[in-house]
Amino acid sequence: MAILRATIEYEPLDRRPYRFTIDQYHQMGEAGVFRPEDRVELIDGEIIEMNPIGDPHAGGVNRLNQAFVVRLVGKAVIAPQNPVRLASHDEPQPDLAILRFRADFYASLGPRPEDVLLLVEVADSSVSYDRRVKAPLYARNGIPEYWLVDLGRGQVVVYRDPSPDGYRSMQVHERGASLSLVELPDVTISVADILGGPAESA
Amino acid sequence: MAIDPIRHRFTRSEYHRMAQTGILAPEARVELIDGDIIEMSPIGRRHLAAVDRATRLFVRGVGDEAIVRVQGSIALGDNGEPEPDLTVLRFRPDFYAMSQATEEAVLLIVEVADTSEGYDQRTKAPLYAAFGIPELWIANLNRDQLLVHRDPTPDGYATVRVYRRGASVSPLAFPHLAINVDDILG
Repeated sequence: MAILRATIEYEPLDRRPYRFTIDQYHQMGEAGVFRPEDRVELIDGEIIEMNPIGDPHAGGVNRLNQAFVVRLVGKAVIAPQNPVRLASHDEPQPDLAILRFRADFYASLGPRPEDVLLLVEVADSSVSYDRRVKAPLYARNGIPEYWLVDLGRGQVVVYRDPSPDGYRSMQVHERGASLSLVELPDVTISVADILGGPAESA
Repeated sequence: MAIDPIRHRFTRSEYHRMAQTGILAPEARVELIDGDIIEMSPIGRRHLAAVDRATRLFVRGVGDEAIVRVQGSIALGDNGEPEPDLTVLRFRPDFYAMSQATEEAVLLIVEVADTSEGYDQRTKAPLYAAFGIPELWIANLNRDQLLVHRDPTPDGYATVRVYRRGASVSPLAFPHLAINVDDILG
């Protein structure tokens, strides 16, 4: 019978978000659920809105694109900011994907994880998401190599050796260093060419 | 300042479009809570029995004065469409066929919590309070008690009282209707 006054403290909300599959994600696109201006990715079954593109970021991607194009013509397909299908609930849109060469440039069938040689994300302000979320995502999908271009700090972080628990190897490179791709060891590109500024060759 | 990318906030119309085009399977038990599509846990026997008991009590108790909606959705703003276990709605002759019932129509919500105790308390109570739902009862089957929430504020219900077996409570909207806690808990 007693009536007690209770103070209920509300803790951070615990939610079980509905996890969408890639097929559902595509159906939503086709059904016009998203507006044309929505830039979204599917990460672990959740629809994530990508940050609006700022000029430094766009410039970074443009420069990176050129640096790879001049070195990889005929050797690989360079896909800027296109969706890449990974596992059943993941379809990110990396800033740059370097894919195994295919004569139709993936027009008939989009790339799968085994087609990916390298993924690159460019970060101008926050590297947190690209580090905390994207790196493990790409690693557990077996993407052989992932570069995080940190424009703010002037560094390129190279992740290699993917495992289900993340990349086993991570190395930070500054201007002056030169990189090659695990899957294309004959191709070299300098950090300066990626970041721009002094010591740029192209 | 760096801002992490955020989850897309679904609107009610996007949510409906997804249901209409069959993207959300009809058997998926989902609700739209503050822009997120949330999976509801499968409903167990104890939960269902408590909802049915509450249904009988309220249908008899409010008679023709109100509408008792069981596990049906209500519209809360642009991004909310929860499915409370039981909602007592202001009477409307069309029974809300012409337009969806919104927070203004709601007199009382009753949620039954057995496994989802945290979820109802932490996720739904603040949402209902933010929309000014005047009263929320959570029948907690595990703790064998009824939590009565009143005085909604944008930050949650200001007044929460615990009622145990042997007690009876009357909804604010129906002060002459005495509901025994035992009758809800079973």
